Amino acid sequence: MSSSTASAAPLLEARGLTREFDDGQVKALRGVDFSIDAGEFIAITGPSGCGKSTLLQLLGALDRPTSGDLLYRGESVPNLSDLAAYRASEIGFIFQAFHLLPTFTALENVQIPMFEGYRSRSERREHAVELLRLVGLEDRLDHFPSKLSGGERQRVAVARSLANEPSLLLADEPTGNLDSENAHSVLDLIIRLQQEQGRTLVLVTHDPTIAERAGRILHMTDGRIVSDQAPAPHNAATRP
Amino acid sequence: MTFSTVVIRGLLRRPLRTGFTLAGISIGIAAVVALVGMARGFQQSWEVGLKARGTDLVVSNRSGSLTPKPFDASVSDQIKSLPHVAATCDILVEITSIEDSDLMILSAREWGGFSWDNLKLISGRMPNSATEPAVVLGQTAAEVLKKKVGDPIQIETKELKVVGIVKGGAVVEDGSVILSLPLLQGILGSPHQINAIDVRVTPSTSEQQLQALTHQIEQRIPQVRAVTVNEHLSHNEGFRLVEAMSWGTSLLALLVGVLGVMNTMLMTVFERTHEICVLLAVGWTRQRVMRMILYESAVLGLTGGIVGVALGVIGVRLLDKTPAIRGLLQPDLGLPLLGLSVVIAVAVGVLSGLYPAWRSSRLTPSLALQAG
Repeated sequence: MSSSTASAAPLLEARGLTREFDDGQVKALRGVDFSIDAGEFIAITGPSGCGKSTLLQLLGALDRPTSGDLLYRGESVPNLSDLAAYRASEIGFIFQAFHLLPTFTALENVQIPMFEGYRSRSERREHAVELLRLVGLEDRLDHFPSKLSGGERQRVAVARSLANEPSLLLADEPTGNLDSENAHSVLDLIIRLQQEQGRTLVLVTHDPTIAERAGRILHMTDGRIVSDQAPAPHNAATRP
Repeated sequence: MTFSTVVIRGLLRRPLRTGFTLAGISIGIAAVVALVGMARGFQQSWEVGLKARGTDLVVSNRSGSLTPKPFDASVSDQIKSLPHVAATCDILVEITSIEDSDLMILSAREWGGFSWDNLKLISGRMPNSATEPAVVLGQTAAEVLKKKVGDPIQIETKELKVVGIVKGGAVVEDGSVILSLPLLQGILGSPHQINAIDVRVTPSTSEQQLQALTHQIEQRIPQVRAVTVNEHLSHNEGFRLVEAMSWGTSLLALLVGVLGVMNTMLMTVFERTHEICVLLAVGWTRQRVMRMILYESAVLGLTGGIVGVALGVIGVRLLDKTPAIRGLLQPDLGLPLLGLSVVIAVAVGVLSGLYPAWRSSRLTPSLALQAG
């Protein structure tokens, strides 16, 4: 797969996705259908336990569906022989709790995903410096996560998510652990990078003000998508 | 940053635990170096000692102990008549406690035999006759026993006199109490008993002729075995037993090391479950995660091996200074043993890391989203 492949087909297409746990006793997803075009910014909203995070895991190939299919550029993701390669080259994850590795500096954390790429040691370093500069942390390269503020940590995580230049960014409540000031600036950063670099962004949030900045909002309830619509025109960040 | 940075950083995460694990594996490897080095050194010291005496063949009784079983001295007359035999020297050797020392080599030699020839007097004189109640001491034996020329020395029930201190050209010779054969036979009350015959062959004897001679001796005198100096030691069951016991003890120590490393690596995997899931989520393959754990455990092994070898060498050097060991052997701390010890340590590390690595590769990356 290559992120540069352009086609009329959607970037991602979910067909009747279900995900069950505990031998079917827990039905996290009950048949989800939708498609995402390249370059879109989609917010997934819904109450706790509605299946938002489970859906995000399936999109990022962290988990496999119980039934249904997920097509990435027309190829079935669950049937891919190498899910790690898909995650490494096509997906960039941004987690609510940042999930930086505590024993590595900001610069090193950003380089971690690059081990699966083609870059040499010096290229990895150079690229990581460039990404950290992009998120405004050029003066924090050698800081360990414990020495960074919450907002700075999430910026490092954003830089890490871009390490292998993925076409799809998956963000799970990326501002959930931040104060409102940092939440705004990190969200602005993510949206700016998504728009400038033409990446596709799927963002899970329960905050309607964040969701309204997306081009489309998928609202989930009880394992299903109950609405798929654009936000009010004056709020949508990706709308003309 | 390279992959090895990731590996080292993983180990430094818990420096105290890594340190204790290293200590465990180091002690195991130190045991290998010390015990096996001493066992092999013991064997080699005898070999050098025999060569220093100018011996080509050793005739002795098949035996499972360190000193061979005694046999009748008349056997040497039969050997003297064989082709290529230049000279023989009857020997009665015992490893025994003398006065306050733990273990000393008591080496009685046929009076006038060639095995006396290589002894160089440092002080005093050689015994005057086969029956003079006198011994000469190798220089290390003199130091260990704290004896000088003129001092009395108690051998079994008899008091003899130290008449000379000699240099023998080999650790075993220097560590021996040397006396005439009839004197020791008299003390032990076994007048015609010897337990080895040193055989010197004529200078022109080829290796094949030497082998033929050994067969001839064994055919003619079935109760003894004739072997060249090199074979003598490698075939000696006593030496083999000592080496086997050394390996056995060392392996037990190593097993403790294996369990230590495995425990540490398993703890690492459990503790770093979340971190490993994040690595998988950002695209690391399961193979890379396994490799990280295996490398960490191999680095533990390698470092433990190097530290263990150093500890072993220091330990052996210290032991070598104790009166119990001194003069009895020159420890073998050659590169092959030290290299083998490090290789064993790395193998121990890798082996101990296999199960933890497999466990780490079974983790599901979705835990990264749930945890934290």
